[in-house]
Amino acid sequence: MPALVEYIPKDTLVHRLNPITKILWTLAVLSVCFILQEPLAIFIVLLSNILVAWLSGVLKQVIPAIIGLFIFSLVLILFQIFFVKEGNTLFYVIPFINLGRVTDVGLKFSAVLALRMLATTSTIPILMTTTQMKDIIVVLTEKCRVPFKYSFMLVTALRFIPTFIEEMDQILQAQRSRGYETDTSNPFKKLFIIIPLAIPLLILSVKKAEKMAISMEVRGFGAGPRSYYNRVDMKKTDYAVIALLGTITLAVLIM
Amino acid sequence: MSSIIKISGLTFVYQGSKVPALDQINMDVKQGDFIGIIGPTGAGKTTLALCMNGVIPHFYPGDFYGSVWVDGKDTVENDCAVLAGSIGSVFQDPEAQMVAMVVEDELAFGLENLNLPRHEMERRITEALEITGISHLRYHSTSRLSGGQKQRVAIASAIALHPKILVLDEPTSELDPQGTEIVYDTLKNLNENHGITIIVIEQKIQYLAQYCSRLMVMDKGKIVIEGSCREVLARQDILKPLGINCPPVTQLAHMLKERGLYHGEYPLKVDEAYMVISKVLQDWGNFK
Repeated sequence: MPALVEYIPKDTLVHRLNPITKILWTLAVLSVCFILQEPLAIFIVLLSNILVAWLSGVLKQVIPAIIGLFIFSLVLILFQIFFVKEGNTLFYVIPFINLGRVTDVGLKFSAVLALRMLATTSTIPILMTTTQMKDIIVVLTEKCRVPFKYSFMLVTALRFIPTFIEEMDQILQAQRSRGYETDTSNPFKKLFIIIPLAIPLLILSVKKAEKMAISMEVRGFGAGPRSYYNRVDMKKTDYAVIALLGTITLAVLIM
Repeated sequence: MSSIIKISGLTFVYQGSKVPALDQINMDVKQGDFIGIIGPTGAGKTTLALCMNGVIPHFYPGDFYGSVWVDGKDTVENDCAVLAGSIGSVFQDPEAQMVAMVVEDELAFGLENLNLPRHEMERRITEALEITGISHLRYHSTSRLSGGQKQRVAIASAIALHPKILVLDEPTSELDPQGTEIVYDTLKNLNENHGITIIVIEQKIQYLAQYCSRLMVMDKGKIVIEGSCREVLARQDILKPLGINCPPVTQLAHMLKERGLYHGEYPLKVDEAYMVISKVLQDWGNFK
Protein backbone atom coordinates (compact mmCIF):
# COMPACT_ATOMS: atom_id res chain seq x y z
CA MET A 1 0.00 0.00 0.00
CA PRO A 2 1.29 3.48 -0.79
CA ALA A 3 2.68 5.63 1.98
CA LEU A 4 -0.51 7.07 3.38
CA VAL A 5 -0.58 8.53 6.83
CA GLU A 6 -1.36 5.36 8.74
CA TYR A 7 -1.17 4.38 12.37
CA ILE A 8 2.30 3.10 13.29
CA PRO A 9 2.03 0.73 16.25
CA LYS A 10 4.77 1.66 18.74
CA ASP A 11 4.99 1.95 22.48
CA THR A 12 6.15 5.48 23.18
CA LEU A 13 5.02 8.21 25.53
CA VAL A 14 3.18 9.96 22.70
CA HIS A 15 1.44 6.75 21.63
CA ARG A 16 0.23 6.12 25.16
CA LEU A 17 -1.29 9.58 25.56
CA ASN A 18 -5.04 9.94 25.41
CA PRO A 19 -6.32 11.08 21.97
CA ILE A 20 -7.93 14.05 23.73
CA THR A 21 -4.51 15.20 24.93
CA LYS A 22 -3.09 14.90 21.44
CA ILE A 23 -6.02 16.76 19.90
CA LEU A 24 -5.56 19.49 22.53
CA TRP A 25 -1.88 19.61 21.55
CA THR A 26 -2.78 20.28 17.90
CA LEU A 27 -5.18 23.02 19.04
CA ALA A 28 -2.51 24.52 21.32
CA VAL A 29 -0.01 24.58 18.45
CA LEU A 30 -2.67 26.20 16.29
CA SER A 31 -3.42 28.97 18.78
CA VAL A 32 0.24 29.61 19.67
CA CYS A 33 1.09 29.95 15.96
CA PHE A 34 -1.62 32.52 15.47
CA ILE A 35 -0.62 34.53 18.53
CA LEU A 36 3.06 34.64 17.54
CA GLN A 37 4.07 37.22 14.93
CA GLU A 38 7.81 36.49 14.62
CA PRO A 39 8.95 34.00 11.95
CA LEU A 40 11.71 32.70 14.23
CA ALA A 41 9.28 31.97 17.08
CA ILE A 42 6.94 30.06 14.77
CA PHE A 43 9.93 28.19 13.40
CA ILE A 44 10.71 27.07 16.95
CA VAL A 45 7.15 25.72 17.23
CA LEU A 46 7.70 23.79 14.00
CA LEU A 47 10.94 22.39 15.43
CA SER A 48 9.05 21.31 18.55
CA ASN A 49 6.61 19.39 16.32
CA ILE A 50 9.50 17.59 14.66
CA LEU A 51 10.89 16.84 18.13
CA VAL A 52 7.55 15.27 19.10
CA ALA A 53 7.61 13.18 15.91
CA TRP A 54 11.15 12.05 16.75
CA LEU A 55 10.15 11.21 20.34
CA SER A 56 7.29 9.03 19.08
CA GLY A 57 9.51 7.29 16.54
CA VAL A 58 7.42 8.27 13.52
CA LEU A 59 9.87 10.77 12.05
CA LYS A 60 10.43 8.60 8.97
CA GLN A 61 6.72 8.60 8.15
CA VAL A 62 6.12 12.24 9.03
CA ILE A 63 9.08 13.82 7.18
CA PRO A 64 7.69 13.10 3.66
CA ALA A 65 4.41 14.72 4.68
CA ILE A 66 6.25 17.76 6.03
CA ILE A 67 8.31 18.04 2.83
CA GLY A 68 5.07 17.95 0.82
CA LEU A 69 3.64 20.70 3.02
CA PHE A 70 6.89 22.65 2.65
CA ILE A 71 6.58 22.70 -1.14
CA PHE A 72 3.02 23.85 -0.73
CA SER A 73 4.12 26.62 1.61
CA LEU A 74 6.73 27.79 -0.95
CA VAL A 75 3.90 28.17 -3.46
CA LEU A 76 2.01 30.11 -0.82
CA ILE A 77 4.99 32.47 -0.42
CA LEU A 78 5.16 33.02 -4.19
CA PHE A 79 1.51 33.97 -4.26
CA GLN A 80 1.85 36.41 -1.37
CA ILE A 81 5.23 38.07 -1.58
CA PHE A 82 4.72 40.32 -4.63
CA PHE A 83 1.44 41.75 -3.42
CA VAL A 84 2.80 43.50 -0.34
CA LYS A 85 3.54 47.14 -1.25
CA GLU A 86 4.64 48.50 2.18
CA GLY A 87 8.18 48.49 3.55
CA ASN A 88 11.64 48.98 2.11
CA THR A 89 12.58 47.34 -1.14
CA LEU A 90 14.97 44.45 -0.64
CA PHE A 91 15.44 43.36 -4.26
CA TYR A 92 13.67 42.84 -7.56
CA VAL A 93 13.30 39.41 -9.13
CA ILE A 94 14.07 40.90 -12.57
CA PRO A 95 16.34 43.80 -11.59
CA PHE A 96 16.67 46.00 -14.74
CA ILE A 97 12.97 46.56 -15.42
CA ASN A 98 12.11 46.67 -11.71
CA LEU A 99 9.65 43.78 -11.89
CA GLY A 100 8.76 41.62 -8.89
CA ARG A 101 9.46 43.96 -6.00
CA VAL A 102 10.14 42.21 -2.71
CA THR A 103 9.96 44.29 0.47
CA ASP A 104 11.15 43.42 3.97
CA VAL A 105 7.58 43.60 5.30
CA GLY A 106 6.39 41.37 2.48
CA LEU A 107 9.11 38.82 3.09
CA LYS A 108 8.35 38.68 6.80
CA PHE A 109 4.62 38.55 6.19
CA SER A 110 4.79 35.65 3.77
CA ALA A 111 7.38 33.82 5.86
CA VAL A 112 5.05 34.03 8.87
CA LEU A 113 2.16 32.83 6.75
CA ALA A 114 4.09 29.86 5.32
CA LEU A 115 5.60 28.85 8.65
CA ARG A 116 2.21 29.10 10.33
CA MET A 117 0.74 26.80 7.71
CA LEU A 118 3.62 24.34 8.10
CA ALA A 119 3.62 24.34 11.91
CA THR A 120 -0.14 24.00 12.29
CA THR A 121 -0.63 21.30 9.66
CA SER A 122 2.43 19.20 10.49
CA THR A 123 0.75 18.17 13.75
CA ILE A 124 -1.91 16.23 11.85
CA PRO A 125 0.33 13.46 10.42
CA ILE A 126 1.91 13.11 13.87
CA LEU A 127 -1.54 12.75 15.43
CA MET A 128 -2.61 10.19 12.82
CA THR A 129 0.54 8.06 13.04
CA THR A 130 0.50 7.88 16.83
CA THR A 131 -3.23 7.48 17.47
CA GLN A 132 -5.52 4.66 16.45
CA MET A 133 -8.56 5.87 14.56
CA LYS A 134 -10.90 3.81 16.73
CA ASP A 135 -9.60 5.60 19.83
CA ILE A 136 -10.27 8.97 18.22
CA ILE A 137 -13.80 7.77 17.46
CA VAL A 138 -14.31 6.69 21.06
CA VAL A 139 -13.24 10.04 22.52
CA LEU A 140 -15.16 11.98 19.89
CA THR A 141 -18.40 10.16 20.67
CA GLU A 142 -18.01 9.56 24.39
CA LYS A 143 -16.13 12.64 25.58
CA CYS A 144 -16.90 15.25 22.94
CA ARG A 145 -20.51 14.10 22.37
CA VAL A 146 -20.18 13.94 18.59
CA PRO A 147 -23.09 11.81 17.29
CA PHE A 148 -21.84 8.29 16.52
CA LYS A 149 -23.12 8.46 12.95
CA TYR A 150 -20.72 11.29 12.15
CA SER A 151 -17.67 9.75 13.74
CA PHE A 152 -18.57 6.44 12.11
CA MET A 153 -18.68 8.21 8.74
CA LEU A 154 -15.16 9.49 9.32
CA VAL A 155 -13.74 6.09 10.23
CA THR A 156 -15.53 4.39 7.34
CA ALA A 157 -14.10 6.87 4.86
CA LEU A 158 -10.64 5.99 6.14
CA ARG A 159 -11.36 2.26 6.15
CA PHE A 160 -12.35 2.34 2.49
CA ILE A 161 -9.12 3.99 1.29
CA PRO A 162 -7.08 0.74 1.00
CA THR A 163 -10.08 -1.00 -0.58
CA PHE A 164 -10.40 1.69 -3.22
CA ILE A 165 -6.69 1.71 -3.96
CA GLU A 166 -6.92 -2.03 -4.58
CA GLU A 167 -10.00 -1.64 -6.78
CA MET A 168 -8.35 1.16 -8.75
CA ASP A 169 -5.31 -1.00 -9.33
CA GLN A 170 -7.50 -3.82 -10.67
CA ILE A 171 -9.44 -1.49 -12.95
CA LEU A 172 -6.17 -0.02 -14.21
CA GLN A 173 -4.82 -3.46 -15.02
CA ALA A 174 -8.08 -4.53 -16.66
CA GLN A 175 -8.14 -1.47 -18.90
CA ARG A 176 -4.43 -1.78 -19.70
CA SER A 177 -4.80 -5.43 -20.64
CA ARG A 178 -7.38 -4.37 -23.20
CA GLY A 179 -4.89 -1.98 -24.74
CA TYR A 180 -5.91 1.22 -23.02
CA GLU A 181 -3.10 3.78 -22.94
CA THR A 182 -2.75 5.01 -19.37
CA ASP A 183 0.65 6.66 -19.44
CA THR A 184 1.11 10.20 -20.62
CA SER A 185 2.98 13.26 -19.48
CA ASN A 186 0.37 15.62 -20.90
CA PRO A 187 -1.77 16.79 -17.97
CA PHE A 188 -4.78 17.55 -20.21
CA LYS A 189 -4.70 14.10 -21.79
CA LYS A 190 -4.45 12.66 -18.29
CA LEU A 191 -7.79 14.24 -17.45
CA PHE A 192 -9.47 12.26 -20.21
CA ILE A 193 -7.56 9.09 -19.45
CA ILE A 194 -8.99 9.06 -15.96
CA ILE A 195 -12.62 8.80 -17.16
CA PRO A 196 -12.69 5.07 -18.07
CA LEU A 197 -10.95 4.40 -14.77
CA ALA A 198 -13.07 6.63 -12.56
CA ILE A 199 -16.49 5.49 -13.78
CA PRO A 200 -16.05 1.79 -12.90
CA LEU A 201 -14.53 2.82 -9.58
CA LEU A 202 -17.51 5.03 -8.82
CA ILE A 203 -19.99 2.28 -9.66
CA LEU A 204 -18.06 -0.29 -7.66
CA SER A 205 -17.87 1.99 -4.64
CA VAL A 206 -21.59 2.71 -4.68
CA LYS A 207 -22.24 -1.04 -4.82
CA LYS A 208 -19.76 -1.69 -2.01
CA ALA A 209 -21.33 1.04 0.09
CA GLU A 210 -24.76 -0.51 -0.39
CA LYS A 211 -23.53 -3.95 0.62
CA MET A 212 -21.88 -2.50 3.67
CA ALA A 213 -25.03 -0.61 4.62
CA ILE A 214 -27.01 -3.86 4.47
CA SER A 215 -24.39 -5.66 6.48
CA MET A 216 -24.59 -2.92 9.13
CA GLU A 217 -28.37 -2.99 9.10
CA VAL A 218 -28.56 -6.74 9.78
CA ARG A 219 -26.17 -6.30 12.68
CA GLY A 220 -28.51 -3.88 14.38
CA PHE A 221 -26.97 -0.54 13.41
CA GLY A 222 -29.05 2.44 14.51
CA ALA A 223 -31.33 0.34 16.69
CA GLY A 224 -31.11 2.64 19.68
CA PRO A 225 -28.66 3.34 22.48
CA ARG A 226 -25.23 1.99 21.82
CA SER A 227 -22.40 0.81 24.03
CA TYR A 228 -18.68 0.91 23.23
CA TYR A 229 -16.17 -1.89 23.36
CA ASN A 230 -13.02 0.17 23.34
CA ARG A 231 -12.27 2.40 26.27
CA VAL A 232 -9.78 5.21 26.53
CA ASP A 233 -8.90 6.55 29.94
CA MET A 234 -7.17 9.75 30.98
CA LYS A 235 -3.94 9.08 32.84
CA LYS A 236 -1.76 11.22 35.07
CA THR A 237 0.64 11.97 32.20
CA ASP A 238 -2.33 13.25 30.20
CA TYR A 239 -3.22 15.79 32.87
CA ALA A 240 0.45 16.79 33.17
CA VAL A 241 0.78 17.30 29.41
CA ILE A 242 -2.47 19.28 29.26
CA ALA A 243 -1.28 21.49 32.13
CA LEU A 244 2.03 22.07 30.36
CA LEU A 245 0.27 22.93 27.09
CA GLY A 246 -2.03 25.35 28.93
CA THR A 247 0.89 27.07 30.63
CA ILE A 248 2.84 27.52 27.39
CA THR A 249 -0.20 28.86 25.55
CA LEU A 250 -0.95 31.30 28.38
CA ALA A 251 2.68 32.42 28.58
CA VAL A 252 2.77 33.10 24.84
CA LEU A 253 -0.50 35.01 25.09
CA ILE A 254 0.77 37.26 27.92
CA MET A 255 4.18 38.01 26.35
CA MET B 1 -39.70 -29.65 16.10
CA SER B 2 -41.37 -26.28 15.79
CA SER B 3 -40.88 -24.17 12.70
CA ILE B 4 -38.58 -21.20 13.14
CA ILE B 5 -39.11 -19.59 9.74
CA LYS B 6 -42.50 -19.66 8.10
CA ILE B 7 -42.93 -18.12 4.67
CA SER B 8 -46.33 -18.20 3.04
CA GLY B 9 -47.38 -16.90 -0.35
CA LEU B 10 -44.33 -14.67 -0.62
CA THR B 11 -44.12 -12.71 -3.85
CA PHE B 12 -41.67 -9.85 -4.31
CA VAL B 13 -41.21 -7.55 -7.29
CA TYR B 14 -38.25 -5.16 -7.20
CA GLN B 15 -39.16 -1.56 -7.94
CA GLY B 16 -38.78 -0.87 -11.65
CA SER B 17 -38.96 -4.55 -12.55
CA LYS B 18 -41.96 -6.30 -14.07
CA VAL B 19 -40.96 -9.88 -13.39
CA PRO B 20 -41.37 -11.03 -9.80
CA ALA B 21 -38.04 -11.99 -8.23
CA LEU B 22 -39.93 -14.34 -5.94
CA ASP B 23 -43.16 -15.95 -6.99
CA GLN B 24 -45.52 -17.54 -4.46
CA ILE B 25 -42.88 -18.99 -2.16
CA ASN B 26 -43.99 -21.24 0.66
CA MET B 27 -41.36 -22.46 3.01
CA ASP B 28 -41.22 -23.98 6.45
CA VAL B 29 -37.91 -24.19 8.25
CA LYS B 30 -37.70 -26.29 11.40
CA GLN B 31 -35.41 -25.49 14.26
CA GLY B 32 -32.07 -27.25 13.84
CA ASP B 33 -32.38 -27.68 10.07
CA PHE B 34 -29.39 -27.34 7.75
CA ILE B 35 -30.93 -26.21 4.49
CA GLY B 36 -29.13 -25.76 1.20
CA ILE B 37 -30.60 -23.61 -1.55
CA ILE B 38 -29.35 -24.07 -5.09
CA GLY B 39 -30.40 -22.81 -8.48
CA PRO B 40 -29.22 -20.95 -11.56
CA THR B 41 -28.33 -17.24 -11.36
CA GLY B 42 -31.36 -15.02 -11.22
CA ALA B 43 -33.44 -17.73 -9.60
CA GLY B 44 -34.19 -15.49 -6.62
CA LYS B 45 -31.97 -17.19 -4.06
CA THR B 46 -30.39 -13.98 -2.78
CA THR B 47 -33.75 -12.22 -2.76
CA LEU B 48 -35.18 -15.01 -0.63
CA ALA B 49 -32.28 -14.65 1.83
CA LEU B 50 -32.84 -10.89 1.98
CA CYS B 51 -36.51 -11.49 2.76
CA MET B 52 -35.56 -13.63 5.73
CA ASN B 53 -33.31 -11.08 7.42
CA GLY B 54 -35.71 -8.22 6.79
CA VAL B 55 -33.52 -6.32 4.32
CA ILE B 56 -36.54 -6.78 2.08
CA PRO B 57 -38.93 -4.93 2.52
CA HIS B 58 -37.06 -2.45 4.78
CA PHE B 59 -34.10 -1.68 2.54
CA TYR B 60 -35.13 -2.41 -1.04
CA PRO B 61 -38.35 -0.89 -2.31
CA GLY B 62 -40.77 -3.05 -4.25
CA ASP B 63 -44.10 -4.85 -4.08
CA PHE B 64 -44.23 -7.32 -1.23
CA TYR B 65 -47.03 -9.87 -0.91
CA GLY B 66 -47.46 -12.71 1.55
CA SER B 67 -45.84 -13.05 4.93
CA VAL B 68 -42.49 -13.98 6.42
CA TRP B 69 -42.29 -14.97 10.08
CA VAL B 70 -38.87 -15.36 11.60
CA ASP B 71 -38.63 -16.65 15.16
CA GLY B 72 -42.16 -15.47 15.85
CA LYS B 73 -41.61 -12.00 14.37
CA ASP B 74 -43.24 -10.60 11.27
CA THR B 75 -40.48 -9.15 9.07
CA VAL B 76 -42.72 -6.38 7.77
CA GLU B 77 -43.50 -5.06 11.24
CA ASN B 78 -40.05 -5.58 12.75
CA ASP B 79 -36.94 -3.71 11.67
CA CYS B 80 -33.73 -5.40 10.55
CA ALA B 81 -32.18 -4.40 13.86
CA VAL B 82 -34.89 -6.24 15.82
CA LEU B 83 -34.57 -9.29 13.60
CA ALA B 84 -30.80 -9.17 14.05
CA GLY B 85 -31.29 -10.77 17.46
CA SER B 86 -32.82 -13.85 15.82
CA ILE B 87 -31.18 -14.15 12.44
CA GLY B 88 -27.55 -13.62 11.52
CA SER B 89 -26.51 -12.95 7.94
CA VAL B 90 -23.35 -13.50 5.95
CA PHE B 91 -23.17 -12.14 2.43
CA GLN B 92 -21.27 -12.95 -0.71
CA ASP B 93 -18.59 -10.27 -0.68
CA PRO B 94 -16.78 -10.54 2.66
CA GLU B 95 -14.70 -7.44 1.95
CA ALA B 96 -17.74 -5.17 1.67
CA GLN B 97 -19.18 -6.42 4.96
CA MET B 98 -16.26 -5.27 7.07
CA VAL B 99 -16.91 -2.07 8.95
CA ALA B 100 -13.89 -2.00 11.23
CA MET B 101 -10.14 -2.01 10.72
CA VAL B 102 -9.35 -4.67 13.31
CA VAL B 103 -10.97 -8.13 13.58
CA GLU B 104 -11.85 -7.66 17.25
CA ASP B 105 -13.67 -4.38 16.52
CA GLU B 106 -15.45 -5.98 13.59
CA LEU B 107 -17.00 -8.50 15.98
CA ALA B 108 -17.67 -5.81 18.55
CA PHE B 109 -19.63 -3.67 16.07
CA GLY B 110 -22.85 -5.70 16.21
CA LEU B 111 -22.56 -6.15 19.97
CA GLU B 112 -22.14 -2.42 20.49
CA ASN B 113 -25.31 -1.85 18.47
CA LEU B 114 -27.15 -4.16 20.87
CA ASN B 115 -25.94 -1.97 23.74
CA LEU B 116 -24.32 -4.85 25.61
CA PRO B 117 -22.05 -4.25 28.62
CA ARG B 118 -18.33 -4.47 27.98
CA HIS B 119 -17.61 -7.74 29.80
CA GLU B 120 -20.40 -9.49 27.90
CA MET B 121 -18.92 -8.27 24.58
CA GLU B 122 -15.51 -9.51 25.62
CA ARG B 123 -16.96 -12.95 26.42
CA ARG B 124 -18.94 -13.25 23.19
CA ILE B 125 -16.03 -12.10 21.01
CA THR B 126 -13.71 -14.71 22.53
CA GLU B 127 -16.38 -17.38 22.13
CA ALA B 128 -17.24 -16.54 18.51
CA LEU B 129 -13.57 -16.45 17.52
CA GLU B 130 -13.02 -19.84 19.17
CA ILE B 131 -16.01 -21.48 17.46
CA THR B 132 -14.88 -20.28 14.04
CA GLY B 133 -11.27 -21.19 14.81
CA ILE B 134 -9.74 -17.77 14.24
CA SER B 135 -8.71 -16.75 17.75
CA HIS B 136 -5.22 -16.05 16.43
CA LEU B 137 -6.57 -13.33 14.11
CA ARG B 138 -8.15 -11.28 16.90
CA TYR B 139 -5.83 -8.28 16.64
CA HIS B 140 -5.18 -8.49 12.89
CA SER B 141 -6.08 -5.78 10.43
CA THR B 142 -9.21 -6.70 8.48
CA SER B 143 -7.81 -5.40 5.20
CA ARG B 144 -4.89 -7.82 5.24
CA LEU B 145 -6.81 -11.07 5.72
CA SER B 146 -7.13 -13.73 3.03
CA GLY B 147 -10.53 -14.46 1.45
CA GLY B 148 -11.17 -17.48 3.67
CA GLN B 149 -10.15 -15.60 6.80
CA LYS B 150 -12.44 -12.69 5.89
CA GLN B 151 -15.30 -15.10 5.32
CA ARG B 152 -14.77 -16.67 8.73
CA VAL B 153 -14.56 -13.24 10.36
CA ALA B 154 -17.92 -12.44 8.73
CA ILE B 155 -19.39 -15.67 10.14
CA ALA B 156 -17.87 -14.97 13.55
CA SER B 157 -19.34 -11.47 13.68
CA ALA B 158 -22.74 -12.91 12.81
CA ILE B 159 -22.66 -15.63 15.47
CA ALA B 160 -21.36 -13.26 18.13
CA LEU B 161 -24.89 -11.84 18.16
CA HIS B 162 -26.15 -15.29 19.27
CA PRO B 163 -28.67 -15.76 16.49
CA LYS B 164 -30.95 -18.79 16.33
CA ILE B 165 -30.68 -18.83 12.55
CA LEU B 166 -27.78 -18.15 10.24
CA VAL B 167 -28.39 -17.24 6.59
CA LEU B 168 -25.37 -17.41 4.32
CA ASP B 169 -25.40 -16.23 0.73
CA GLU B 170 -22.67 -18.06 -1.19
CA PRO B 171 -20.22 -17.88 1.69
CA THR B 172 -17.55 -19.80 -0.20
CA SER B 173 -17.70 -18.07 -3.59
CA GLU B 174 -14.17 -16.75 -3.21
CA LEU B 175 -12.65 -19.79 -1.55
CA ASP B 176 -10.59 -22.75 -2.70
CA PRO B 177 -11.77 -26.30 -1.87
CA GLN B 178 -9.77 -26.37 1.36
CA GLY B 179 -11.18 -23.04 2.56
CA THR B 180 -14.68 -24.15 1.57
CA GLU B 181 -14.36 -27.28 3.64
CA ILE B 182 -13.21 -25.30 6.67
CA VAL B 183 -16.24 -23.01 6.38
CA TYR B 184 -18.62 -25.97 6.05
CA ASP B 185 -17.04 -27.78 8.99
CA THR B 186 -17.58 -24.59 11.02
CA LEU B 187 -21.23 -24.49 9.94
CA LYS B 188 -21.68 -28.17 10.77
CA ASN B 189 -20.25 -27.55 14.23
CA LEU B 190 -22.61 -24.59 14.76
CA ASN B 191 -25.55 -26.68 13.61
CA GLU B 192 -24.81 -29.81 15.58
CA ASN B 193 -23.23 -28.50 18.77
CA HIS B 194 -24.84 -25.08 19.14
CA GLY B 195 -28.27 -25.82 17.72
CA ILE B 196 -28.18 -23.02 15.17
CA THR B 197 -30.49 -23.41 12.20
CA ILE B 198 -28.50 -22.90 9.00
CA ILE B 199 -29.70 -21.81 5.59
CA VAL B 200 -27.00 -21.66 2.97
CA ILE B 201 -27.12 -20.58 -0.65
CA GLU B 202 -24.46 -22.40 -2.59
CA GLN B 203 -23.42 -23.29 -6.14
CA LYS B 204 -21.10 -26.14 -5.22
CA ILE B 205 -23.61 -28.97 -4.92
CA GLN B 206 -21.13 -31.54 -3.61
CA TYR B 207 -20.87 -29.59 -0.34
CA LEU B 208 -24.63 -29.26 -0.02
CA ALA B 209 -25.04 -32.98 -0.59
CA GLN B 210 -22.43 -33.70 2.02
CA TYR B 211 -23.52 -31.32 4.78
CA CYS B 212 -27.20 -30.34 4.41
CA SER B 213 -30.19 -32.12 5.86
CA ARG B 214 -32.56 -30.64 3.30
CA LEU B 215 -32.14 -29.29 -0.21
CA MET B 216 -34.20 -26.74 -2.05
CA VAL B 217 -33.90 -26.04 -5.76
CA MET B 218 -35.04 -22.66 -7.07
CA ASP B 219 -35.68 -21.42 -10.57
CA LYS B 220 -37.35 -18.23 -11.84
CA GLY B 221 -38.48 -17.16 -8.39
CA LYS B 222 -40.12 -20.47 -7.53
CA ILE B 223 -39.11 -23.46 -5.47
CA VAL B 224 -38.88 -26.31 -7.97
CA ILE B 225 -38.18 -29.22 -5.64
CA GLU B 226 -37.60 -29.55 -1.96
CA GLY B 227 -36.72 -32.51 0.18
CA SER B 228 -33.91 -34.52 1.65
CA CYS B 229 -30.64 -34.52 -0.32
CA ARG B 230 -31.27 -38.03 -1.61
CA GLU B 231 -34.81 -37.23 -2.72
CA VAL B 232 -33.71 -34.11 -4.58
CA LEU B 233 -30.61 -35.57 -6.17
CA ALA B 234 -32.68 -38.49 -7.47
CA ARG B 235 -34.57 -36.06 -9.71
CA GLN B 236 -31.81 -35.57 -12.27
CA ASP B 237 -34.49 -35.02 -14.89
CA ILE B 238 -35.26 -31.70 -13.18
CA LEU B 239 -31.73 -30.77 -12.11
CA LYS B 240 -29.97 -31.29 -15.46
CA PRO B 241 -32.03 -28.71 -17.45
CA LEU B 242 -31.28 -26.15 -14.69
CA GLY B 243 -27.57 -26.69 -15.20
CA ILE B 244 -27.10 -28.23 -11.78
CA ASN B 245 -24.50 -30.94 -11.99
CA CYS B 246 -24.89 -33.55 -9.33
CA PRO B 247 -21.86 -34.72 -7.36
CA PRO B 248 -19.82 -37.21 -9.42
CA VAL B 249 -20.72 -40.11 -7.10
CA THR B 250 -24.43 -39.44 -7.54
CA GLN B 251 -23.99 -39.15 -11.30
CA LEU B 252 -22.24 -42.50 -11.34
CA ALA B 253 -25.08 -44.12 -9.41
CA HIS B 254 -27.54 -42.53 -11.81
CA MET B 255 -25.73 -44.02 -14.80
CA LEU B 256 -25.67 -47.42 -13.12
CA LYS B 257 -29.41 -47.14 -12.48
CA GLU B 258 -30.09 -46.18 -16.07
CA ARG B 259 -28.34 -49.35 -17.19
CA GLY B 260 -30.33 -51.37 -14.69
CA LEU B 261 -27.28 -52.35 -12.68
CA TYR B 262 -28.20 -50.64 -9.43
CA HIS B 263 -31.54 -50.05 -7.66
CA GLY B 264 -30.79 -48.73 -4.19
CA GLU B 265 -30.46 -45.24 -2.75
CA TYR B 266 -28.29 -42.51 -4.21
CA PRO B 267 -24.88 -42.19 -2.57
CA LEU B 268 -23.83 -38.68 -1.43
CA LYS B 269 -20.31 -39.29 -0.25
CA VAL B 270 -17.32 -41.16 -1.63
CA ASP B 271 -17.45 -43.94 0.98
CA GLU B 272 -21.13 -44.50 0.23
CA ALA B 273 -20.31 -44.70 -3.47
CA TYR B 274 -17.62 -47.25 -2.64
CA MET B 275 -20.29 -49.44 -1.02
CA VAL B 276 -22.53 -49.05 -4.07
CA ILE B 277 -19.80 -49.98 -6.51
CA SER B 278 -18.65 -52.99 -4.53
CA LYS B 279 -22.27 -54.16 -4.34
CA VAL B 280 -22.74 -53.73 -8.10
CA LEU B 281 -19.50 -55.57 -8.83
CA GLN B 282 -20.46 -58.35 -6.44
CA ASP B 283 -23.90 -58.75 -8.06
CA TRP B 284 -22.28 -58.76 -11.45
CA GLY B 285 -19.81 -61.43 -10.34
CA ASN B 286 -22.69 -63.54 -8.97
CA PHE B 287 -24.60 -63.03 -12.21
CA LYS B 288 -21.72 -64.33 -14.28
